[in-house]
Amino acid sequence: MAYPFQLGFQDATSPIMEELLHFHDHTLMIVFLISSLVLYIISLMLTTKLTHTSTMDAQEVETIWTILPAIILILIALPSLRILYMMDEINSPSLTVKTMGHQWYWSYEYTDYEDLSFDSYMIPTQELKPGELRLLEVDNRVVLPMEVTIRMLISSEDVLHSWAVPSLGLKTDAIPGRLNQTTLMGTRPGLYYGQCSEICGSNHSFMPIVLELVPLSYFEKWSVFML
Amino acid sequence: VQCIILHPHPPRLLAKRLRFHIVGAFAVSLGVAAFLKFAVAKPGKKAYADFYRNYDSMKDFEKMKKAGIFQSAK
Repeated sequence: MAYPFQLGFQDATSPIMEELLHFHDHTLMIVFLISSLVLYIISLMLTTKLTHTSTMDAQEVETIWTILPAIILILIALPSLRILYMMDEINSPSLTVKTMGHQWYWSYEYTDYEDLSFDSYMIPTQELKPGELRLLEVDNRVVLPMEVTIRMLISSEDVLHSWAVPSLGLKTDAIPGRLNQTTLMGTRPGLYYGQCSEICGSNHSFMPIVLELVPLSYFEKWSVFML
Repeated sequence: VQCIILHPHPPRLLAKRLRFHIVGAFAVSLGVAAFLKFAVAKPGKKAYADFYRNYDSMKDFEKMKKAGIFQSAK
């Protein structure tokens, strides 16, 4: 979950999110490189009275400042495309879970074996127990097995919503009349929080998502209990 | 009488300054990038590799279960 004074991403809980984290470090390094160069050049220009008023052409420098940015863009694009294609790899999910966005809650359906479905509403602030997180807790969490590839099918019953869980690197729009798919693989047990990420009305900020990743045996017991 | 007028060579002050500082600018920006790579990116990758090298997810789960945070595992 997010924490006060956070500067970077949340800790990664899936291999894709780890890749995205490292890619961000790589790209930020390039951003700092360009920014420091520009800042240095600006301060250079502002700290001299020397001028050159008869410049006619600058073929050499124009070549350099065309080729160099092209190289930089390639250095950004190659890892980016690598991760993009990694996200679409065929990974044979073992479980499919459907989620529907509503105003203003999420509903989940586990229909691979039996018909299990439930709604997931935010716990209002006045009803929170000590230690629980404001605007993030829900009554029925999405319990899922850990270390297993899961297919999420996401749609909406009314307006646009977006199902997002930052620590797993997930954000998929819930569009009425359309089925969007994403795959999920949590490497660690625990609770992972997200919030609706597409403006959907007055309670857009109050429809969070909580994933509870547990070992398969506990997931099976929970799904039997919920039926 | 022949007069030879000696034109003084212009001192090319700006060109000298630019050459010195452009090399400096590239050195500084590459230094910043190298610093970020070795102080941020590499330790970040290492931290994840070290964490997962001997990670026991069941042990982690049992600790969390004892803390009572799960709905599905009391």
